Amino acid sequence: MIKVGKKIIPWREGMSVADLLNDLKDPYAYPVVKVNGKLVSRIDFEKTLIPDNSEVYLIPMVAGG
Amino acid sequence: MTEIKLREVKTLKYLRPTIERGYANQTLHVDLSTSEISIKPLEEKVKEIFVGGRGFCLWFLWNAVKGSTKWNDPENAICISSGPLGGTPIYPGSGKSIVTSISPTTGSVMDSNVGGYFGPYLKFSGFDALELRGKATGDVIILIDGISQKVQLFQAPELPDMAHEISHILTQHFAQGKPRNVSVVSTGPGAKHTLMGCLNFSWYDTGRGRARYKQAGRGGIGSVFSDKGIKALVSCWDKVTVKTNNPANEEELKKVAKMHSREIVELDPRQNDMARVGTTHLVEIMNDHDCLPVKNFRYGQDPRAPNLGQEVFRRIFDKGFDGCWIGCTVACSHGVKDFVPVTGPYKGKRVFVDGPEYETIAGCGSNLGIFDPYTVTEMNFYCDTYGLDTISVGTSMAFVMECFETGLINEKHTGGLDLSFGNRAGALELLHQMAAGRGFGRVVGRGVRQMKKIFAEEYGADPDAIQDIGMEAKGLEFSEYMTKESLAQQGGYGLTLKGPQHDEAWLIFLDMVHNYMPTFEQKAEALYWFPMFRTWFGLCGLCKLPWNDIVPEDNKDTKEPAKVIKHVKWYAEFFGAVTGRSVEPGDLITMSEAVYDFQRIFNLKMGFGTSEHDNIPYRAMGPVTVDEYESRRERYDKQLVEVYGVEINGKSTGEKLRLLRKIREQMYEKLKEAVYKRRGWNENGIPTLETVKRLRIDFPEVLEVLKAHGVEK
Ligand code: SF4
Repeated sequence: MIKVGKKIIPWREGMSVADLLNDLKDPYAYPVVKVNGKLVSRIDFEKTLIPDNSEVYLIPMVAGG
Repeated sequence: MTEIKLREVKTLKYLRPTIERGYANQTLHVDLSTSEISIKPLEEKVKEIFVGGRGFCLWFLWNAVKGSTKWNDPENAICISSGPLGGTPIYPGSGKSIVTSISPTTGSVMDSNVGGYFGPYLKFSGFDALELRGKATGDVIILIDGISQKVQLFQAPELPDMAHEISHILTQHFAQGKPRNVSVVSTGPGAKHTLMGCLNFSWYDTGRGRARYKQAGRGGIGSVFSDKGIKALVSCWDKVTVKTNNPANEEELKKVAKMHSREIVELDPRQNDMARVGTTHLVEIMNDHDCLPVKNFRYGQDPRAPNLGQEVFRRIFDKGFDGCWIGCTVACSHGVKDFVPVTGPYKGKRVFVDGPEYETIAGCGSNLGIFDPYTVTEMNFYCDTYGLDTISVGTSMAFVMECFETGLINEKHTGGLDLSFGNRAGALELLHQMAAGRGFGRVVGRGVRQMKKIFAEEYGADPDAIQDIGMEAKGLEFSEYMTKESLAQQGGYGLTLKGPQHDEAWLIFLDMVHNYMPTFEQKAEALYWFPMFRTWFGLCGLCKLPWNDIVPEDNKDTKEPAKVIKHVKWYAEFFGAVTGRSVEPGDLITMSEAVYDFQRIFNLKMGFGTSEHDNIPYRAMGPVTVDEYESRRERYDKQLVEVYGVEINGKSTGEKLRLLRKIREQMYEKLKEAVYKRRGWNENGIPTLETVKRLRIDFPEVLEVLKAHGVEK
């Protein structure tokens, strides 16, 4: 299981951040998400695997600086 | 009380007015040449059109200077103002001030925003703005004491030179047992010996029992301060509560403040965690997006960037509350306790360092090819206490290092210093030289624009090569974002009023990640409204960070996520609750636009403010060298072929480089045209008569400046 905010999403072997966003059908262009407190940038969404029992937070960042 | 020798020159006793709906309704003016201190009533019209903060500062500066005034002429003024919402202790980020002056590096009007307690204490002492003119003989300090209701000018011949020592000593001296009642503005020796001096505005950290500070860094206002002979400004005020600013509707204010404050407490730990890591979270994010400046903005990425990232600084920062104004729940102004420098006058001594923030890390770290957090922290400490802007120092050194590595300058010019990228000892030595006005530091302290001239005319360097890689526009050094792949952010830097500083428009993610603005018109639209929102914070005494750095979770589902409209509505309510002026979110833009366009015309008055001054060096637009092109060849080749339909088969990298350059330069010109049109300016970037009338800034002196530039009926 993966916790995404208040939602619980089933986990599967080899699941990446990109897969998760796909499963969530969330088209928002997140520049970064947090996986277990660690920032993962968009460029790494495909190659970053999410371990089982992870907590993921989708940062709705629009700006900064 | 710490004993210091102060010789009273002048004292003005006054009756402190009651603050009414965020305004003191009078302003303070000090002429340092004549020691005259005067108080003037605030005109209703000025309040209505210019609102406060940056608006007031620009208005007083406009009236102080002529078109021919130079930064070190006595008539140049330094103006400081917070704003009507400034000093609210319960709304996050409500203690900012704006400082304006004619800049030594741009020759035109500069505005710089800063935290610390000075601005709010100045207002609560009875003054919406402070104007400093003339030049003092000898070092002086000015005390604005709202508790005893007096303004005093002192000769202060024996104060130390370093800013952290000045802040500490003056805080202790004027505290009368309550150091939190004192805020000090000071600079340091670097401001005297360079053109990139900053101002340090103090705030008292009760938890740690020490004076801390934030910087008004940009554009060398610290150098103007030093040139005027001002050693420090001190403002004193007692307890601050929500009533101190006497809001029109206290209940409404409390309601809206609680909502924003609570949201930050809830969301910040999940999002950027700024209360623990400040803005250092941006280092790795920018690196991952190829936007972290590396080696003078050549590249946007380096595998060593995590050494300067948030997890490193999470460990280095001293834990505790770090709000640069009372009650700011973002509390991002972190510092390093018991830091021991390895060079310079404080070598081996324990010091407290305020920072580093993202800009300093990128400017004095990655952009110099330095990936050691302790060197960055040491550069931060010395820049602050020497009174130097970390951004201008970083960008100037990066330019010098590239010139050194590419043979445009050599050890003969640097006085034997090896200024290769990554040379930590070289960078620190150069910083000490800059502060002392010694050796090659004297040259670097003049900033990138003047160095370009010196390198070309005196050292025989190729002027075209230097022009391409010297990262300044309008005479101000670029702040620390790589813009090659974001045309909107190129505009966000080039089409600014004061020069390339991200506080006006930060559009990198909106452009590159969200793709909210694929067309020129959409980019122009963003370059219209984004700077207006940011300007509004500067009018009111607010920090820009709580607007869009921490955002509501459902923001992405709103019609215009880029505007974070929920917060904009809160800000409109906040403004109404304090001032009693009922405003809609859209009004925020109109309020700002009047001041924004006024500042554009102010540039015109000073001999700038037209299209040619909105140009940026090619390094900001695309790859200058074959190496840069090759490092991202796949990206550039793909763009040439797929986006621009260019046949590249058989073409050398040099040829492709030139083709790409031509296209990108044309795109920037097209963007300029679209932005001018959207802003209601003519093709030369000058506001039209219709625009100034709509914004009600058609004062006779404004029309006169426009007329002199061919804009008339
Ligand atoms: S957000 Fe940070 S910089 Fe802004 S007022 Fe709060 S502590 Fe100061």
